[in-house]
Amino acid sequence: MTTTMLPRATVREGLVARSRRRPGGWKQLAVNQAFLLPAIVVFVFLFVVPLAQSFYWSLTDFTGYSSDVTFVGLSNYRTILTDPSMLAALGFTLLFGVGTTVVVTLIAIPLAVQLNKRFFGRNLVRSLWFFPAIPSMAILGLVWRYILSPLESGVVNSTLQDLFGVGPLAWLSDGTLARVSVIVVGIWAAAGWHAVLYMAYLQSIPNEYYEVARIDGASARQQFFGITLPLLTPALVISTFLLMTAGLKVFDLPYTLTNGGPGFSTYTITQSIVVAGVSQGRYGLASALAVLFTIAVAALAFGQLWLTKTIERRFV
Amino acid sequence: MKRSRVAAAVASAALALSITACGSDAGDGRTKLTYLSWTGEEQMTPIIEAFEEANPDIDVEASYAPPVAEYIQTLQTRVLSGTAPDVFLIAAENKTSLIDGGHVVDLTGEPFLEKIPDFNKETYGRDGKVYGMSISSWAAGYLYNKDLLAEAGYDSVPETWDEFLQMCRDLEAAGITPFIESVDQMPTTLSAWIGAQSSEMDPPLDELIFSGESTFEEQWTPALEEYNRIFTEGIVSPDVVGLDGDMVRDEFANGRVAVINAGPWVINAIREAAPDLEFEFAPVPGLPDGKPFQAGAATPGYAINSKADEEKQAVAKKFLAFLASPEGVEVFEEQTNDVTVTSDFEPTPDPAFEPLAAAIREGELYLPMISWQRSEDVLNVEAVAQIQRMIQGQVSPQGVAQALDAKLASS
Repeated sequence: MTTTMLPRATVREGLVARSRRRPGGWKQLAVNQAFLLPAIVVFVFLFVVPLAQSFYWSLTDFTGYSSDVTFVGLSNYRTILTDPSMLAALGFTLLFGVGTTVVVTLIAIPLAVQLNKRFFGRNLVRSLWFFPAIPSMAILGLVWRYILSPLESGVVNSTLQDLFGVGPLAWLSDGTLARVSVIVVGIWAAAGWHAVLYMAYLQSIPNEYYEVARIDGASARQQFFGITLPLLTPALVISTFLLMTAGLKVFDLPYTLTNGGPGFSTYTITQSIVVAGVSQGRYGLASALAVLFTIAVAALAFGQLWLTKTIERRFV
Repeated sequence: MKRSRVAAAVASAALALSITACGSDAGDGRTKLTYLSWTGEEQMTPIIEAFEEANPDIDVEASYAPPVAEYIQTLQTRVLSGTAPDVFLIAAENKTSLIDGGHVVDLTGEPFLEKIPDFNKETYGRDGKVYGMSISSWAAGYLYNKDLLAEAGYDSVPETWDEFLQMCRDLEAAGITPFIESVDQMPTTLSAWIGAQSSEMDPPLDELIFSGESTFEEQWTPALEEYNRIFTEGIVSPDVVGLDGDMVRDEFANGRVAVINAGPWVINAIREAAPDLEFEFAPVPGLPDGKPFQAGAATPGYAINSKADEEKQAVAKKFLAFLASPEGVEVFEEQTNDVTVTSDFEPTPDPAFEPLAAAIREGELYLPMISWQRSEDVLNVEAVAQIQRMIQGQVSPQGVAQALDAKLASS
């Protein structure tokens, strides 16, 4: 792996040398920093201010109809942490976030490697895999609701009956099967898009590395784990980060596929925020939920970033 | 320079005039009335045109938001930002917030309310006051396939629950799927039974529960136990928890099930999918100590913004008076197919829906969510989820009722 170490060392030396001879001193630095100003303004007004407002509302009984509110302290937080439906929502949200992230990654990388090879009809196969990423998840949820209908006339059930004489299976009616169904549809919808992301990185790996490895007698497996996978770690960081954040804030797919049911089996945190806030006019409670959720997502996201950066440093 | 100043002055004056026009009248001398419609634009436009024709000095500026969540959200945002329309809809989902917040005008004693039945007035009222004018109601019951029932020797849905269960067994013996009920909402059967029970009580059931004199456990458990029989006795598959109303309707339209729960909104879709299908509605069979009843409620009521000035409120009342008049109701019925309830207009519902239409006009309807006195949606979400769990065998009927008591206590 010396070949991969060389560019990293070269880049670092270049950066150090450039910083030593930075022209213009602090004035130039100030001008450079000024370019960050629009981003900071956007960050403050679209993230910091709403988050601060949410925190404020979370300490009140705000109903959304009048800004005349009563301070209720941490009562909303107490309600959330003792409400079985909210805890069920937290459990499924974590399961969906982690489940889709792990399985999509396990599918997308080998898929990208295969789609990167030359074969007849490659573009068509790539398009077919990418297609589920185009329609909205809400539309996909509604379509899959009919496909996975627990009735004998459901698409999957009637196919299973015709081919194997099995069924009908309670895809969306049994708590466990409903959870699995939502996660599988989520994986199906995301795998192709993330495979394309990995393909973009695969195509930037110089072919010479593989040629040298082949000359040295490396098998296909050794080439994958010794060259492909380490050089894909930047893509891995981006892909898993996107998957985890999208998975944790998932709303449209479970909402349209199962509406959070049966019971609270597939209820998500985002759905409980929307239901509490919009449908039930309990904005104080919804704000408290949003604050707790932001903290949890931030902790998970930073943890994940730290982990992937550690892996990245190990390989690159 | 002088020329540009004059141009600026003219432009400012024009702007000021246009802003004034936006604020109070339509700019052509007519008074502008703002209205946020729950009904779609295609259906609402002829009603508004009829009103404007009858009141040429008023211009209705309508905006639209589809029910339910989007409407509630749009109205709530406009109320909070001080840009609420002069007339809007008060519904089950927002009535507590609108009344508690003093956002709606008390309509008690208005002449146009005289032709509205008490049931509809009470739905959008509190403590004897009326805050919304509801001119129609809806009902849901059982929809049955006449041909399939005939195959098992029945010509209609029986009036008692035990007889209905026997009919289901007979249908099953004849190789016909007897009954499917979607439980993605509050089950029609359960709403009807609780309604029948409440109609025999004084004070009504919900008044006892919400005043703390009784509990869900005491009032709901017998009905829940009876409802659970169709799953524990294998008459209906627990898989129904994964079905929505459209799936159930499609099964019925394709002749794969004899009886489903439904309301008038399925009629057109079934006729389109199966023009030759013979079907009719019936009330939900009664429990041994009850009577046949139907789920249903008054449709959302027209309410007037209490922040609107007196002139606008007067114009808004004219709008409501028109909607309640025979002319207004006629156009309303034509456009929405709702069963209207005003005393001086006789609606003509679809023949298949006739068995439930009389109950609508008599106010023999019940829907828990609209009858509950607070935390309506909180309790409804909890009830639906717990009933789904009961059907799956994860909680007992008593456990469902206890969960509702716990939810009420914590909300």
